[in-house]
Amino acid sequence: MELLGVAEKTVKRCEEVGFDEAEAYVQRRKNVEIVLERGEIQSERIKTRQGLGIRLIKDKKVGFAHTSVLKEETVDKLCKEALGLVNASISNPEWISLPTKKCCYRKPSGIYDEDIEVLGSGDFLSLVIEACDAVEEVDKRVHIDDGKLVASTFEVAIANSHGISLRERGTAISFFLVCIARENGSASSFAYEYDISRTLKGFSPGRVGELAAKKALASLNPKSIESFEGEVLLSPDVAAEILFTPVINSINADNVQRGRSVWADRINWEVASSNLSLIDDGLLPNGINSFPFDAEGVPSQRTLIIDKGVLKAFIYDSYTANKEGVESTGNASRSDYSTPPSVSISNLIVEEGRGKFEDLIQDVERGIVINRFSGNVNPQSGDFSGLAKQASYIENGEVKFPLKETMISGNSFTALKNIIDIGEEKRATFTGVYTPPILIKDLKIVSKH
Amino acid sequence: MILDELTRHLEKTEAEYAEMRYQRRQIFSVTVKDGKVENLDKGMISGVCVRTLIDGSWGFSSTTVIDKENIENTINDAISLAKASKTKKKRKVRLVEVEPKIDSYETPMEKDPRREDLTQLLELALEVDEHVRSYSKSIVSDSIRLLIVDDDLAFISSEGARITQRIVRCSGNALVIARAKGNLASTYESIGAQAGLEVYSEDALLKAALKAAERAGRIAPRRVVPGGYHHVILENRIVGLLAHEAVGHCAEADLIHGGSFLADKMGKKVASKMITLIDDGTLPSGYGTMKYDDEGTETKKTVIIEEGTVKHFLHSRETAYQFETEPTGNARAWSFEYDPIIRMRNTYIAPKDQTLEELIEDVRDGYLLRGGGGGQADFNGEFMFGTQEAIKIENGELKESYRGATISGNAFEVLQKVEAVGGDFTLSIGMCGKEQVNFVGIGGPSIRTHILVGGR
Repeated sequence: MELLGVAEKTVKRCEEVGFDEAEAYVQRRKNVEIVLERGEIQSERIKTRQGLGIRLIKDKKVGFAHTSVLKEETVDKLCKEALGLVNASISNPEWISLPTKKCCYRKPSGIYDEDIEVLGSGDFLSLVIEACDAVEEVDKRVHIDDGKLVASTFEVAIANSHGISLRERGTAISFFLVCIARENGSASSFAYEYDISRTLKGFSPGRVGELAAKKALASLNPKSIESFEGEVLLSPDVAAEILFTPVINSINADNVQRGRSVWADRINWEVASSNLSLIDDGLLPNGINSFPFDAEGVPSQRTLIIDKGVLKAFIYDSYTANKEGVESTGNASRSDYSTPPSVSISNLIVEEGRGKFEDLIQDVERGIVINRFSGNVNPQSGDFSGLAKQASYIENGEVKFPLKETMISGNSFTALKNIIDIGEEKRATFTGVYTPPILIKDLKIVSKH
Repeated sequence: MILDELTRHLEKTEAEYAEMRYQRRQIFSVTVKDGKVENLDKGMISGVCVRTLIDGSWGFSSTTVIDKENIENTINDAISLAKASKTKKKRKVRLVEVEPKIDSYETPMEKDPRREDLTQLLELALEVDEHVRSYSKSIVSDSIRLLIVDDDLAFISSEGARITQRIVRCSGNALVIARAKGNLASTYESIGAQAGLEVYSEDALLKAALKAAERAGRIAPRRVVPGGYHHVILENRIVGLLAHEAVGHCAEADLIHGGSFLADKMGKKVASKMITLIDDGTLPSGYGTMKYDDEGTETKKTVIIEEGTVKHFLHSRETAYQFETEPTGNARAWSFEYDPIIRMRNTYIAPKDQTLEELIEDVRDGYLLRGGGGGQADFNGEFMFGTQEAIKIENGELKESYRGATISGNAFEVLQKVEAVGGDFTLSIGMCGKEQVNFVGIGGPSIRTHILVGGR
């Protein structure tokens, strides 16, 4: 079935039924998933899915409908049912319009890899086995707890009443692994490692296995420390969660407009340490969220969010942009065809600083390095607290020993101003944030023992 | 009839065991944010999956395109996966015998959403939003969401099982954001049950939303609770999180097999005598209730801990064979796109008889922790989850309020240290993630214990 044809036909049909505007988003996806549990292959799945999500507007009343059945009569029935609901709704005076046709779409490089599409499940299984073998090779004391490989091939088509008519395809592959090391009846904490890519090139489950195993070994025989306040080096993963979850919430124009962002009136204010610059880039080559257009067909772009600590811009979809009379930044996103678009980051990139891991910790008098965080970060207030896992104690510029579970707590907005240093090697995280390790000061470290 | 068609396909497979599940999930949701209808969604997703067992190895495949060609491809994919991976597996899967059932079941409902006018829910969401926004000046934003998930499920197996179930879940939640002194505070409350639209009667959603609004206004200008090891009362609504996250997962047989905290504790005492902890698939209106699990096994009430002692684990057919015991009906799948794995249903700590006031009376210096947040647990019993508010208790009296923080510890230590169990039982709804998500019920009364609070 030709997806763009389905999208265009759906829009036309919805207009005939009586809607003022319509937008159809059609998606087809094939996933191969391999799940590891307790070191064994628990599940392998091949999933084929397609579906259609329709945004419908009448008299400034907005509705949404979705279906996995693309047959004309099903779509027709759904449109009519949605009309009944939309009629009963109330108008939103702030609704202006769905996006209009734009020029100048650019296709980011490295978003589709034919190899991922044609590989069989046996090939993906070999990749997982490669990771398992790598773990075993590092050390017999290391065991795999869980892990998952997902390889996706997808195709998206969008059409709307204002002439937008787009189609593109993409691929993605990801793998994570959690390992634990056991020795003399005691166990290390769970060590986590991962890889995410749009293409097979550069994707290496074997490296994931090796790194996860080494991390698990390094955390054997942990010690506890007294509570103190000190410097903390956050791994890219932990930085993405602790520092940038509230940033992602606060730069979202929808939250800004609703008073849900502490940065609502802070454009051109210093919101972070001057060594932090942040860019949202939907066109990043090989970027995990890169695509020529966003989830409502607006061209993807590059937006400078924080320039040397100063807040420069928010991210918009067409609805929030229309409300303020500005242009969308191409940041409409959907998790799936079954949900309406909403504002979200594409690839949020922290500008790299200078210094490898050793350089970052060389001036730390007393602190810890955290590789995994298990806790809560409040996206609005920035309050965070939770367990520092896979953490080590640093004294006088050297990693001394692995730590028993330690709690940390603080506030992300304060922590952004307390950034001392940013590393030089940035990494993609599952959240869409690309960040190097980040060193912050004055964090409360609460010993559990 | 789709069942007949699927049965014909199933009869042709070469697998020693095969099962097919069909699902049609109809969704209705309405979200009102700040007085405007943010989303009004009606949708339907349907699909079929096949799971095959060949020479002790599973294969799984699913599709949303339900026609002869696609179903055949899906079966072939499941078979080829089972064959491809069998050499890579350490352990051969065998299934314990169950009687193949031919039955059908439907959620008991007073107001079936299929027969009701759903526009009334739009009015309800608007009304609740209006009340929340006018509750106090410090409230800057809110979201009110109502969600109906109406599942038609069918299960057929090569052993002859033929089960259809219709499971309807109605829920609602409120997110409230308040601002004071340049700080934001957000709070959240939810209601829900496996039932029809009667879930929304008696102003249930309004009451929950106003509770969130009141709390948001109260904690916005406050500091975060001081960190440390505190004497605490866990409010009934968050005791279920402890029961589920920290204890329940350790009783899942796949995790037992992996060496979880409870692995060598069968028949041993792991908690205070006051603690009885149950996972029940039959609880009327429980969010995780089903008559049959996704392997066609009838669900039951499973006592995990009885008066402090471990009694039962949670099983699928596969682990029941391995452990030489009865399956408990805990094999659940989030949708037709997932194979069933061991999941809890409705997990709760059984109530005793003290009132919340009586629990508070005996605290000289401590906190009442209220309102849940996200949680996680490792299978060694180490857990953490968020709380929204901590109210200081001094000499048996409630004092000032603080913003909540994450609490953590080892669940079994916490349960050993339980001093009192209340009688104020409540059952809440939850979403649990274990590689795939699922609807669960979580419950309990308020309890008094000691816990580490990660405040400032």
